[in-house]
Amino acid sequence: MHRGKGMKFVGDSRVPAKEHRNIPKDYSAFPGRTEAFWPNFLLKEWLVGAVFLIGFLCLVAAAPSPLEQQADPNNAAYIPLPDWYFLFLYELLKYEFASADYIVIGTVGIPGLAFGALLLAPFLDTGPGRKPSKRPIATGMMLLGVMATIWLTYESVVAADWEAREEYSVENVVEVEVDEGHPGYEVYMDNCMSCHGDAMQGAPTLGPDLANLPYDEDQIKEIAVEGIEDMPAGIFDGSDEELDELANFIVENTSVEADGEAGDDAGNDEGSDEESDENSEEDSEDGSGEEQEDEESDE
Amino acid sequence: MSEKKNNQVSRRTFLNYTLTGVGGFMGAAMVAPMVGMAVDPLLQADGEGDFVYVMDEDEITEEPQRKTFTIDQEDGWYESQAERVAWIFRDGNGDILALSPICTHLGCIVDWGVQDDHPDQFYCPCHDGRYDKDGVNIPGTPPTEPLHVYEQRVDDGRLYLGRANPR
Amino acid sequence: MLAKIYEWIDERLDITPIWRDIADHEVPEHVNPAHHFSAFVYCFGGLTFFVTVIQVLSGMFLTMYYVPDIENAWNSVQYLQSQVAHGQIVRGMHHWGASVVTVMIFLHTLRVFFQGAYKKPRELNWVVGVLLFFVILGLGFTGYLLPWDNKAFFATQVGLEIAESVPIIGPDIKTLLAGDPNIVGAQTLTRFFAIHVFFLPAALFGLMGAHFIMIRKQGITGPL
Repeated sequence: MHRGKGMKFVGDSRVPAKEHRNIPKDYSAFPGRTEAFWPNFLLKEWLVGAVFLIGFLCLVAAAPSPLEQQADPNNAAYIPLPDWYFLFLYELLKYEFASADYIVIGTVGIPGLAFGALLLAPFLDTGPGRKPSKRPIATGMMLLGVMATIWLTYESVVAADWEAREEYSVENVVEVEVDEGHPGYEVYMDNCMSCHGDAMQGAPTLGPDLANLPYDEDQIKEIAVEGIEDMPAGIFDGSDEELDELANFIVENTSVEADGEAGDDAGNDEGSDEESDENSEEDSEDGSGEEQEDEESDE
Repeated sequence: MSEKKNNQVSRRTFLNYTLTGVGGFMGAAMVAPMVGMAVDPLLQADGEGDFVYVMDEDEITEEPQRKTFTIDQEDGWYESQAERVAWIFRDGNGDILALSPICTHLGCIVDWGVQDDHPDQFYCPCHDGRYDKDGVNIPGTPPTEPLHVYEQRVDDGRLYLGRANPR
Repeated sequence: MLAKIYEWIDERLDITPIWRDIADHEVPEHVNPAHHFSAFVYCFGGLTFFVTVIQVLSGMFLTMYYVPDIENAWNSVQYLQSQVAHGQIVRGMHHWGASVVTVMIFLHTLRVFFQGAYKKPRELNWVVGVLLFFVILGLGFTGYLLPWDNKAFFATQVGLEIAESVPIIGPDIKTLLAGDPNIVGAQTLTRFFAIHVFFLPAALFGLMGAHFIMIRKQGITGPL
């Protein structure tokens, strides 16, 4: 190419005028079986990418992205769990040396050291050897860190009750609108709320929803006092009068097929009508479409 | 300007300094108000908590009772009725104690007497944190401090609660 | 026809050197899976980039429906995934992509680490890479809140609580992230949205640019 004086440009621009353009580099003289990135190697990469994309789209199609109910800051029964890639940190904070008085070790100390060491690895491991066997300390620390992360994540995954968490999903949640002005509401909140939720929606692992009970008031009174299945006796703690109010409250707000008047009060639970009534341990497959519409009309 | 000085700071150096200065001014003047906007929540004064009626004094038992009450919450432009929960009971001295159920470990919600092994304790399901009846964290469990206590006022036999403060 | 157009542009703007700079580099034998199957480990970086592209694209389209407001956020997400054509797929790509990109960047980091590829002269590129890792985790954390469902809300509360436990500056960090010292609410959502959609992606693009320029400049590390 012409340089310096006598150089030709395109028009009055500063773009050099060239006769031969677009000549790829010649790789034949390079040592070994080197090949050009463009287009030879890039094609291979894109083939890998295409296969990867097919797998990814299969995952997307097979597993719909989860959505739970709209956030309710007052939901006292909810047990939080972070997304999986933060579970290791969440689990770490369970250990005695990383919580209570030592929580700084768990939230700042250990993660700070680990990520700090990761960030500064090139300056900590300055030896010339690149083979993992030539730098046992660096390799060992990394293996330890990776194993600890995987172990903590595993522990946390095992500890969580995934079946119960399924019930948080918006398709599975039972929607009940309870009448908070009812005299029995307060009795309910004092005695039943901690297991059956603040709106009779139930709480995973603790108690089923009370959205559609096939019982009348007397049966409910009996269950409240004497328990049923997993529910122990003696949970109810109050006067007979309160018990009457409680049973009336539950019957008024649940939708029972046997009891014709129930549906009027519980205006929002058509979607849950078709549901099986024993307990919410079973996934209810009832039409989420109806519930969603109810949700929207709430606003 | 003397020649000697010109040798120390060349024209090019001077221009570079000036460029840095003007650039710095442009950057700072642009970003300063934006940073101010971002840190506004730090500058906001802490609002006084109002006291809200929760329950009558004579209903308070030795057994912790879960009471909910609503406060007017102002979250920037969003005003709402937020529900607050308190565990209310009389402690050994007969004094009223209203505990916040928010676990001091990571902010989950504790519950009273739900764990069979420890029926007389507050229990947090997230990391098995426990507190005794007075809300003091049990050593060896994850919480860092006792449960927060609501400011309280008894007026005419009625219990009013304010904000929850650390002890 | 296309070639004619290209020549016409190239004559005026001399664009060939610009892309030749990127395209014309050698790929040595040891990173080519065609010659050594084990070289597939070199794919992780490229796949991380690929998923990042998916994330950026799907995220851009999600904002056509999404509203960062606590009254409407959940409803808009619910609407876009149940009513909008292919909304379920696009949200699914963004949701699962977040997980996949984390896995891929983790594997890429391990590959680079165990091959000692961060050693002189590539220290800076490693540092930039780890910063990219942090940015990806930050995007995961801030993006998690946006659907404003129970899972998002309570997990974020825990995350903010962790931030608060940092000595001295912890409470201020929490307030800055949440927009209020005590409430996780309307101001938290808009902040997380801004961080997720503007601040972190800006950092991501800058760091990615630096990452790639350095790779081109220094070339890939030799065989072990």
